[in-house]
Amino acid sequence: MPTPEEFRALLEDDFGVSEWSEKQPPLIEAVDHHRLAEVLKERGYTLYVFVVASHRPGVEGAEDALTAAGYIELATGLRSPTENSQLAIWRVRVGLDEQLATLVDLFAGADWQEREQFDLVGVRFAGHPDPRRLMLPEDWEGHPLRRDYAINTPHPPWR
Amino acid sequence: MSASSAARPSSAAPASAARLGVDPHRDLSDYDPEADLMVLNMGPQHPSTHGVFRLKLHLDGETIVRAVPYVGYLHRGVEKLLEELTFVQATPIVDKNDYVSPMTNEQAINMAFEALLGIEVPRRARYMRTLFAEMQRIASHLLWLSTFGIDMGGALGGGTTLFMHCFREREWILDLFELVTGARFHYNTHTIGGNRHDIPAGWAKQVHTTLDLIASRIDEYLELSTTNSIFVARTRGVGILPKELALELGITGPILRASGVDHDLRRDAPFHAYDEIEVKVQTEPDGDCLSRALVRVREMKESIRLSKLLVDGIPEGPICGARPIKNPTQFKAKEGQAYVALETPRGELGTYVIGGGKNKAASPYRLKIRPPSLHALSALPYLLPGHSISDTVVILGSLDPIMGEADR
Amino acid sequence: MAVDESDRNYEHPLYSMPGLSVAATSVDKLLTWGATNSLWVFAMATSCCGIELMATAASRVDADRMGTIIRGTPRQCDVMVVAGTITVKMAPRVLKLWEQMPEPKWCIAMGSCAISGDFYRDIYSVIPGIDTAIPVDVYIPGCPPNPEQLMAGLIRLQEKVRAVRGGEWAPKDERPETEAMQKTAPSIPRLLSAERSPDVTLAQLLGAGNLGLGGALNRAADAPPLAAPQETSDAITTQAPTETSEGAVESPSEDEHADA
Repeated sequence: MPTPEEFRALLEDDFGVSEWSEKQPPLIEAVDHHRLAEVLKERGYTLYVFVVASHRPGVEGAEDALTAAGYIELATGLRSPTENSQLAIWRVRVGLDEQLATLVDLFAGADWQEREQFDLVGVRFAGHPDPRRLMLPEDWEGHPLRRDYAINTPHPPWR
Repeated sequence: MSASSAARPSSAAPASAARLGVDPHRDLSDYDPEADLMVLNMGPQHPSTHGVFRLKLHLDGETIVRAVPYVGYLHRGVEKLLEELTFVQATPIVDKNDYVSPMTNEQAINMAFEALLGIEVPRRARYMRTLFAEMQRIASHLLWLSTFGIDMGGALGGGTTLFMHCFREREWILDLFELVTGARFHYNTHTIGGNRHDIPAGWAKQVHTTLDLIASRIDEYLELSTTNSIFVARTRGVGILPKELALELGITGPILRASGVDHDLRRDAPFHAYDEIEVKVQTEPDGDCLSRALVRVREMKESIRLSKLLVDGIPEGPICGARPIKNPTQFKAKEGQAYVALETPRGELGTYVIGGGKNKAASPYRLKIRPPSLHALSALPYLLPGHSISDTVVILGSLDPIMGEADR
Repeated sequence: MAVDESDRNYEHPLYSMPGLSVAATSVDKLLTWGATNSLWVFAMATSCCGIELMATAASRVDADRMGTIIRGTPRQCDVMVVAGTITVKMAPRVLKLWEQMPEPKWCIAMGSCAISGDFYRDIYSVIPGIDTAIPVDVYIPGCPPNPEQLMAGLIRLQEKVRAVRGGEWAPKDERPETEAMQKTAPSIPRLLSAERSPDVTLAQLLGAGNLGLGGALNRAADAPPLAAPQETSDAITTQAPTETSEGAVESPSEDEHADA
């Protein structure tokens, strides 16, 4: 049965996480995203829960190159369907032009969830078998949940 | 007939397709050229799609060889709208997401905000929320049973018999909610830190009377369905969802429990008053449509038992733990992220909220609602191949999707 | 194909038969009686209001007793009840289904989403009221309206059908355009509005006809130029793109939501 201590030890030993905060899930390197999901699935986190991407626009004059150019922060959650229903959440940061490894080969549910995040936020997944929009029409322009997308963008002839 | 019988993954299929037996992106160009392949479109406006949901079925004769679902016909941009509004303004918006169980939606978003803002909910409010959630579960499952009766066509003694009967019972529960909140449908009764409306005098007695009546009726429906040979023939062995596939797809709630996974957030990760009462989790091993129906009907009976326990055990005390709301920007979260999940009639409804948004941090920066219905619908490409067209409606109905929640 | 707004006064073929005017009046009364008491409903149910529409057809309220039966196909129906939010992705389908209904036909906009878009009206994917695409006869406010309200709306429609067939009905005068109304006008003007360009109607119909191609092709190729969307000045508009804006929180939206 997976425990939070085990998850913490795994991230500290194998994935180089040193900062822990009660308010935020741990942040790992984007290259380790797929490997962590694979390890967790072996350790009993077999229920695919969610993936959520949030757009952070670039900040002028920031020291960090990623912050200056703007990035997408992606949080993923897996759950163990055991007695304590342990939840493992981690975050990764990817640049706006970069691609992140897809989890479809591990979790079939990631197919639609990643399509939705691509549709609404514009994060791209490398190796996704069906990279189409999910919610909006195929000919839609832009990604609505980005910060620079106005909520009342017109879409003639309908609105 | 099983879902994997028609499995012929093409060479380009990803590794997951080989593992799961069915390739949802199956390329039909190498299909038998002698076969009379046909594409049938179902939806987005179809009486049996439970909302605006479109299904493209590739048929070989009457057998489905590939099913492609399309969602998004009710995409209303709720997540974007909630970024513009403040925390206290969010409750009436999420009512409209899962419009068959608005109570649990309100709870989900308010629990997430309470976790982000660090606000405690008093014990009386926690009991009331749990009670409302359980009664909402009965109403939601009754609506599912009524529409499933229509989906089954004449199998239950005429298309709308079960529909008429179940809606009668559902109205009684809505009447009880109306007594508390004043609204029939979209209640807006939860707020950050507790509830807005206290229960009126004499309400508990009415709850007991109503639930006793509904309990006797549910026994009737259980007998009506399980002893009906047509009902059993059309559901047993149809749409089998294996345990591993259900977990991978992120399917939760009654569908997962009908596939033999003993997992229920009410017992495994207790929230509200569930840590003070014992929930008997209903499971079935087979994973077919009959199992899903049985699990839901038994859950109704279990919810009736829990509701009676809860309505008797509501403690005295305040119903809201936060200061009364004076202005919309009262609660602020400069940073932090929280994910809170609870068990709704359709499964795990999660809310991922990131603080530090607009209106001087009184809005969420990003808010994601994890919809159980969308995950359930994503099982269709795996469930449908190998079945005939007439089974499509039964399988879709047994998943109990609500498009307002799936599309948001 | 096109929705001809001027043809709301439906004329029965019996009217044109010579020498039958006296007899036709009596026959027409019978036909009116039949038409008003068998308004079959096509449930364009997309969201929450659809559940209340089901409740109206169910045991407690029982719309069947006034001859209103919900049918699954538009070809058998007289009334389209638009119950729920209509999105940009769904709107061409609604228009296409409306065209498939035989004349005479009526439309009921049920709930605030179908009337104006409700609080989704400013969102990128929601059309601000179904009457920007199809003509509406009866509006039933509420979020969602109770089944009793829907019954009242159906009775209002019966009265209207009676009046139209009796030749008494005339459209209401244009409502006075107050400042508040101009503020909340949808970006696409409503069907009966004088500001509406026929190009918009044409583009909508083309979009409904070519579902497979999508709206972009129609727009990109030889489609006529669209009317420029009106400037709307709402609280949400002013603060949309930037992070630092303030002041939207004083908007009265909270009261609206409490009523909903």
